[in-house]
Amino acid sequence: MAELITGYGIEHEEFHQQYIETVTQYLTFSVANETLAVNILAVNEIIEVSEITFIPRMPEFIRGVINLRGAAVPVVDLSLKTAKGVMSKLSDKSCIVLVDVNPPSGGNQAIGLLVDAVKEIVEFDHKSIQPAPQVGDSNNADYIQAMGKLNEVFVIILEVDNILSSGQIKSLMEIN
Amino acid sequence: MSIEAKEHNGAHFLEINDELTIYTAAMMKQELQDVLSKQDELEISLECVSDIDSAGIQILILLHQQAKKKGKTLRFIKHNRQVIDVLETLNLEALFGDPIVLPAKEF
Amino acid sequence: MLDDTKKIFIQESEELLEQMENALLEMEQVPNDAEHLNSVFRAIHTIKGAAGIFGFDAIVAFTHPVESVMDNVRNGLRSVDPDLIALLLKCKDHTANLVEFISGEQEDISETLQEAGKKLLNELTPEQPSELTVTNTNEKIEVSDKRSPSEDHWVISLDFKPDALRNGLDPLSFINYLKRMGEIIEIITFTHDFPCWEDMDPESCYLSFRIALSSSANKEEIKSVFEFALDDCELRIVPPHSELEKYLALLEELTGEELNKLGELLIQVGALTEQELNSALQLQNGVLNDGTTKEIKPLGEILVEQHVVSKDVVEKAVAKQEIIREKIAQETQYIRVDANRLGQLINLVGELVISNAAVKLLVEKHDLADVQEVVSGVEGLVENIRDHALQLRMVQIGETFSRFRRVVRDVSKDLNKDVELVITGGEAELDKTVVEKINDPLTHLVRNSLDHGFETPDERVAQGKPRKGVLRLNALHDSGHIVIQIADDGAGLDTDKIRKKAEEKGLINVGQELSQREILRLIFEPGLTTKDTASNISGRGVGMDVVKRNIDALRGTIEVDSERGKGTLVTIHLPLTLAIIEGFMVGVEQERFVIPLSMVEECVEMNTDEWHLDKNSHYVNLRGQVMPYIKLSEFFGVNYQQSHRGRESLVIVKAGRAKAGIVVDRLFGELQTVIKPLGKVFQGLKGVSGATVLGSGEIALILDVQGLIGLASAKTTDVKTLESV
Repeated sequence: MAELITGYGIEHEEFHQQYIETVTQYLTFSVANETLAVNILAVNEIIEVSEITFIPRMPEFIRGVINLRGAAVPVVDLSLKTAKGVMSKLSDKSCIVLVDVNPPSGGNQAIGLLVDAVKEIVEFDHKSIQPAPQVGDSNNADYIQAMGKLNEVFVIILEVDNILSSGQIKSLMEIN
Repeated sequence: MSIEAKEHNGAHFLEINDELTIYTAAMMKQELQDVLSKQDELEISLECVSDIDSAGIQILILLHQQAKKKGKTLRFIKHNRQVIDVLETLNLEALFGDPIVLPAKEF
Repeated sequence: MLDDTKKIFIQESEELLEQMENALLEMEQVPNDAEHLNSVFRAIHTIKGAAGIFGFDAIVAFTHPVESVMDNVRNGLRSVDPDLIALLLKCKDHTANLVEFISGEQEDISETLQEAGKKLLNELTPEQPSELTVTNTNEKIEVSDKRSPSEDHWVISLDFKPDALRNGLDPLSFINYLKRMGEIIEIITFTHDFPCWEDMDPESCYLSFRIALSSSANKEEIKSVFEFALDDCELRIVPPHSELEKYLALLEELTGEELNKLGELLIQVGALTEQELNSALQLQNGVLNDGTTKEIKPLGEILVEQHVVSKDVVEKAVAKQEIIREKIAQETQYIRVDANRLGQLINLVGELVISNAAVKLLVEKHDLADVQEVVSGVEGLVENIRDHALQLRMVQIGETFSRFRRVVRDVSKDLNKDVELVITGGEAELDKTVVEKINDPLTHLVRNSLDHGFETPDERVAQGKPRKGVLRLNALHDSGHIVIQIADDGAGLDTDKIRKKAEEKGLINVGQELSQREILRLIFEPGLTTKDTASNISGRGVGMDVVKRNIDALRGTIEVDSERGKGTLVTIHLPLTLAIIEGFMVGVEQERFVIPLSMVEECVEMNTDEWHLDKNSHYVNLRGQVMPYIKLSEFFGVNYQQSHRGRESLVIVKAGRAKAGIVVDRLFGELQTVIKPLGKVFQGLKGVSGATVLGSGEIALILDVQGLIGLASAKTTDVKTLESV
């Protein structure tokens, strides 16, 4: 991706804008038999599941922290967060997708998304993307950026910045 | 009179019968001066000095110096404990050169 | 020896020797006149005594046998003949030579003078075997070369002014009092300056003393004996040689960070008293004000001239000043390093520590005995590197403290208060990152103290306190922590007012039973922040909650002690570093947690049966101590199965004064702990302060001991007693 757009010099920004407007690449993965997607620009790397250290007194969807080259990175169980509310069963295919988030509260933080399996990289043009449905408690669903239509099936495109908004965590912790 | 002339076994001496302090210094000086001007040889008993301080010591030192200057003989005798203590503290025993006899009751 | 003592001695000796000569000449006419004998004896006796006091041992050595002879003559044991008188005249001349000699610069008595002395003494005491006399004299002279014990006295010269007696002073009582300071080795009462009898005012004081005192007291202490007489006498205290050596040694040891003034240096080692400095400074200024001379004399010169401090000591102090100045100049040659680079280095060292742990783990796992040795060698090196790397970021707290000089000066001036800042322990070191973060809370505390702690000078005087208040900043190291104390001798905190305020704000129930300390602790409660600083003292709570929060963020503790009318003491405990610490690992179920080792007091086996454990109230009776505890598995446990059937352990932790027990399943032991932040997401997490990476690559959480103790205590509050310590 990066290689694609470098070298265009001054037109780089412009080109970038255009490119994103027309076609955007997404990484899809499965979580509890659902397919989810994130903008590939947010993805840093995909790693195997290593030992996850449990963090007490946290909302359940935070599975814990992993050691990523010496840094403690929180891991979100997407199954608990988005799909059925069941804890993911770890398998050989389980992966942690590391994304950089810029939560609304400020600061840059790496988080890991625990998924059952990584599927593929897909492209959505803006015609195949629809805004998130405004149903139910929008506050709890603000991690949904949009819905993408893939082979006539809708997939949830995640808004990674909102997955771990600290306000949300705080409120969850207080409920606990 | 705080100074009394006394006689003991035929020897004449003066006895200071009062405290020898700043409070009596002026009076002592006057009385001792009177006595000294009349006598050529004098023994002064310090047995009954009830209290002595720096001013008193000065009187004794000066009296001693004065006698020496005038060629008179002056001896202090019968130092009591308090006087001895003061003389010892100030290391003045040798200055007067008088033999100090400790009162028997001290032993 | 000081010039002035010499001068005094020489002048007095010359007078005495003249008297001696006159008396001897008289004796040629009237050999056995007692008065003249006495006069000779007194002269030689006084010279000997004075020489002893001033440490002129050669003169003592010579005059002592002469005095003995005169004593014998006086007591009729030896008869006076023209030969003896001639000999005594020679002795007098020799003494005069010796006296003259010491006025010179030379240290050692010349051979010829020594020989002449020996010869005279031999002639004087012929009945003694001459050899003995010679060795005797030799010995004494030798001793003087080696600095005899007699030089090891304080020499006090005490000249009373005429009005002393009239002003109610009795010189005798001061001398008696001086005896408490040590042993009076020798005392000379000067009598030759007395006026003649007719001119004498019996109520004037003519007394002067020279005293040799053997004492372990310092100059200031000796001076204090004459405190009330200082206006009515000329006092000069000359330190003994050992004391001089002490000053010199102390000057040598001084590791001044700031460039002190000469006077300050001398006071620091005790060679100069504050009063002496002030009068010397006045003298310095006096010369200036006169306009008579434009040249301002250096303080050192004045001090030597006034015979307050010996020349050696002044020279040494000046030299020391120079060294410190150079040292400061050198310090500017230090390499400035970007703090970020240092941070990176320390991070890398942290990784190294972790990697090393991983290697160690693998070696143990595969039982590689030959590698083990190498690994433990590497481990030692890594620890060394870690210590040095951390040391790079260590700075002395003194610099931070010094900044408060200005704050104290300015603020106290604004408030019309008189406060002196006393800084101690400035050499204590801690991590720069900690220092930076401690500045704000410290400023707050210092300002608070100045604003609300200290009374105005008039109020202080009215309460019988010194006009000038003293604010102390102190730092010391205590088991892996730095302790910072801010103490004032001000009004202290009004616990009644704090209590009232807390009740008003609903922080405590009306009439709730609280210990003094618990009440004091309330000032750290956010609710107690009050803006009505106008009311005299209680407004001290302004922003104390912020201070506490800052300290908490540094994993530190803050405590306050206060006594009404006496002052307030704030004590802050802080970890030395925020990067790498010694940790103690414990296990709960499958999870592992690290407790900072410096906060672990002890580990005991949990004995549920004997401790009459009260499950509801969460405290145990540990050897008669009420100990709140927290069960980690319950506190953290979300879905633990009660699988662990083994014995539980109680880890006693302390933070500052507070203590609590933490119940865990297993104890793993000590380990190097590289502290990793947990990130914003976990900011609000209670009971955990950070994370660390274990050798296995896993992450273990570092427990927030301070927070846990708070939580444990809070649980026990219902049972009323939670006061630990």
